[in-house]
Amino acid sequence: MKILIVDDFSTMRRIIKNLLRDLGFTNTVEADDGTTALPILQAGSIDFLITDWNMPGMTGIELLRVVRADEKLKSIPILMVTAEAKRDQIIAAAQAGVNGYVVKPFTAVALKEKIEKIFERIDGGS
Amino acid sequence: MSENSTSQFDSFEKAMKEGAADLLQSVESGKFAEAMQTIQELSEARHKSFYNEVGHLTRSLHDAIRDFQIDTVDQIVTKDEAASKITDATDRLNYVIEMTSRAANVTMDMIDSSVPVAGNLQEQARDLRKDWGRLIQRDLTPTEFRDLYKRMDTFLKDTDENATLLHSNLNSILLEQGYQDLTGQVITKVTDLIRDVEEKLVHLVAVAGRVDSISGIEHEEKRKAEEANDDRGHGPAINSENPEVLSNQDEVDDLLSSLGF
Repeated sequence: MKILIVDDFSTMRRIIKNLLRDLGFTNTVEADDGTTALPILQAGSIDFLITDWNMPGMTGIELLRVVRADEKLKSIPILMVTAEAKRDQIIAAAQAGVNGYVVKPFTAVALKEKIEKIFERIDGGS
Repeated sequence: MSENSTSQFDSFEKAMKEGAADLLQSVESGKFAEAMQTIQELSEARHKSFYNEVGHLTRSLHDAIRDFQIDTVDQIVTKDEAASKITDATDRLNYVIEMTSRAANVTMDMIDSSVPVAGNLQEQARDLRKDWGRLIQRDLTPTEFRDLYKRMDTFLKDTDENATLLHSNLNSILLEQGYQDLTGQVITKVTDLIRDVEEKLVHLVAVAGRVDSISGIEHEEKRKAEEANDDRGHGPAINSENPEVLSNQDEVDDLLSSLGF
């Protein structure tokens, strides 16, 4: 299980990386916005994508849409971890095909719960 | 200064009203030379008032620019005197980013170094406890007992060293939280500056508005500031009163489940 963490703040990437390590996911890669994340995704081998929304260059919602529109990438589960909490934005993310949405500041429990829920769904074959 | 320019403008308005009355009277009674004279006077008053306002506007601008000069007693950023307070504010905010980033990283470094130590202690203690239980049950062979004896000594020594390390790491984490005080002070200063700049800008707009009304310049309605784009993001929500912004994970989960998630 290889996870790509996309966030423009290295501190947040590090926090997420440490929490994932505690959950047993040690294989992580990092990118600081959608533009740098895409080539990593296109190179293959990424099984799970965790992305922020508000980033310079390509934002998280744009990345989400690009990934969902790409034949090779569209089935990658995507968890959004972001401070963006407007009703319309969450609806937009859901419509764009996000698998989970965690608002910052978040707890380790919330992150764990959302990740597990996503995996349950995938394993359930839905 | 503001009062002065207001009274300047008021006196022009007064002169205009009186002049208009005189003008009407002169025209009605057929005294066209007097009427021309009144028009001339009004025109002069208008110019005088206009130039006065321009003078005040220039002075306001000059004051505003002078007020924006950097404080020489600046304790955090010492730049050359020509640097504006805005540059200074930018530097200060960059300093906040640096401080918070540093604090977060140092804290996480300390945690990274502490987690395996705690894990190691836990593992050793569990092992020892198992064998200790067997010792209590008198279930140990003499060889195992000698081994336990040595391990207990190592464990106590390790615990001492590790606890010292953990203690020092926790202290570093504690000290690192000092960033809150320092960044808080910096942000307060920047907030004060913004309030100050806003006041001065409002004043400038008022002065400019008076110049406009005297000179008869009309501006096209400015288009409303473009609505912030959802795609670009808004950053953390500050105003929890806004019903369009959800305030916690539970609300987000409720919304998503209402959408069939």
